[in-house]
Amino acid sequence: MKPRLSTLIRHLLALTIAATFLLPLAWTLAASLRPAGLPPPRGFEFLHWPPSFENYSRIFEILPFARYAFNSLLVALAGVLLTLLTASWAGFGMSLLGRRAQIRLLILSIFLQMIPFTALWLSRFLFFARLGLTNSYYAMLAPALMGTSPLFILLFYWTFRRIDRAVFESASLDGANLFQTWMRIALPLARPALMAVGLLAFLFYWNDFISPLLYLRSQTLYTLPVGMLQLQEMDRTNWPLLMAAAVLVTAPAVIVFAALQHSVLWWESE
Amino acid sequence: MFRLRPSLFLTPYLLGALLLIALPAGISIYIAFTRYNGIAAPVVVGWENFQLLRLDPLARVALTNSLIFVTQSVPLRVIGALGLALFFNQPRRGTGFYRAAVTLPTVIPEAAYALAWTWILNPLYGPFNAILRGLGFAPPAWFADSDSAMLGLVIASLFPLGEGFIILLAGLRHIPREIYDAARVDGANRFQILASITLPLLAPWLALFAIRDVVMSFQNTFTLAFITTRGGPYYATFFPTQLIYEFAFSRMDFGAASAVMLLVFLVTSALVLLVYFLFADDPFDEA
Repeated sequence: MKPRLSTLIRHLLALTIAATFLLPLAWTLAASLRPAGLPPPRGFEFLHWPPSFENYSRIFEILPFARYAFNSLLVALAGVLLTLLTASWAGFGMSLLGRRAQIRLLILSIFLQMIPFTALWLSRFLFFARLGLTNSYYAMLAPALMGTSPLFILLFYWTFRRIDRAVFESASLDGANLFQTWMRIALPLARPALMAVGLLAFLFYWNDFISPLLYLRSQTLYTLPVGMLQLQEMDRTNWPLLMAAAVLVTAPAVIVFAALQHSVLWWESE
Repeated sequence: MFRLRPSLFLTPYLLGALLLIALPAGISIYIAFTRYNGIAAPVVVGWENFQLLRLDPLARVALTNSLIFVTQSVPLRVIGALGLALFFNQPRRGTGFYRAAVTLPTVIPEAAYALAWTWILNPLYGPFNAILRGLGFAPPAWFADSDSAMLGLVIASLFPLGEGFIILLAGLRHIPREIYDAARVDGANRFQILASITLPLLAPWLALFAIRDVVMSFQNTFTLAFITTRGGPYYATFFPTQLIYEFAFSRMDFGAASAVMLLVFLVTSALVLLVYFLFADDPFDEA
């Protein structure tokens, strides 16, 4: 009897924790379904019944949200593809270096990983402005040149390092050059890393708010997070409408996370 | 056999680090010592920007706010992530779902997340205050009141701790199972194992997350405060990053903005070097 009671308590606790962490999104979703024009709830009301989806269509009438969504998707996809390329290259190159060079790069990467974007944003802005690259996606996508985040390079490095070097060497004896070895042998063995980095890079570019805020001036280039800010500035108190926008911006991130979360949450546990 | 060419694969990474990190750091050091409005050529003025900053009440407020936020948010986030990692470490039935649920707030786009909290903590109609009133409390006005706005931001910052959760789960996996088996054979109970095996062996990972969290709070507070309070009311949630934004894009004073940024960068680097000295022998080489 005793072990079963403790199991029950553990599950109840786990469910409570999970519910707590789901609560912010649940409240946002519930608030977005409140019919437009109704006065705000007096007292506690989780979800107004019957729910209404008209806020979602309203957003697309007020602002070019379809365009913003397309832009967001474009930036995120380009960011993911470039990142997978550059990060797996760097991780592959790093895994083939001598031991001491590997350690040095590892320390450098951890150091770079710790520097927040906001510590450098202004001079990056001035740099891109001087090059005439602001008000375009080049500046937003620039981090993809360096694999977006040093962590992504390390995820590939840790993966490739565990592959026996003899595998790569036998490929080169068969006449494959290093590029072919990377593409045909290393990458297919790095599926978990590709999924984890793909997920994290998607979230990085899809969620990015500060760089479009800094770099983009033309409304036709806006991505969803900046569009949401625009909506907030138009009407700060239209909660159902604002929450519907928040849900729209969040949904793709949650869907991609749900599809690929295993690669990050269970990294190397199988 | 692959003697030279691996470095070819590292070129984009290292070049990118040079262009996107080293070069901007250099630029900001130079601009910080100039008067520069983004249009006319910068004029070197020595320490003027820093001297003005020292007298600027807004800079002092931003620094104080930043310290208040860090000392409240970071310890709670570290303890929260540690508790969750310990609780959801063992794969049991449902652990996959629980881990995903706990990580979900981290996945929400920052701007949407911040916007959601303007509703959740809305003093008149928000669900949180409705519950508090239902329980008989007189709830604060959160983002509308300079006394409780910071607390509102701290509460909102407690949910997206997935990064620390994942870092600590990785740390827990690195503790060899044999150590636990040996301890159990010696008759250690669960709390002894936690206090004398798990926590000491997890300490480097905890420190890594704690320091990264301090560093990242410079960044994380920007979007959160920008959307919820715009630094208000009465500058109660005004942070150094907003000071930079304000100097640069409202007053076109890039010199002063760079001076603030340089100070943020120096504090950040000092903290990062601390990580280096703590873990120079054990640089998280396994994963």
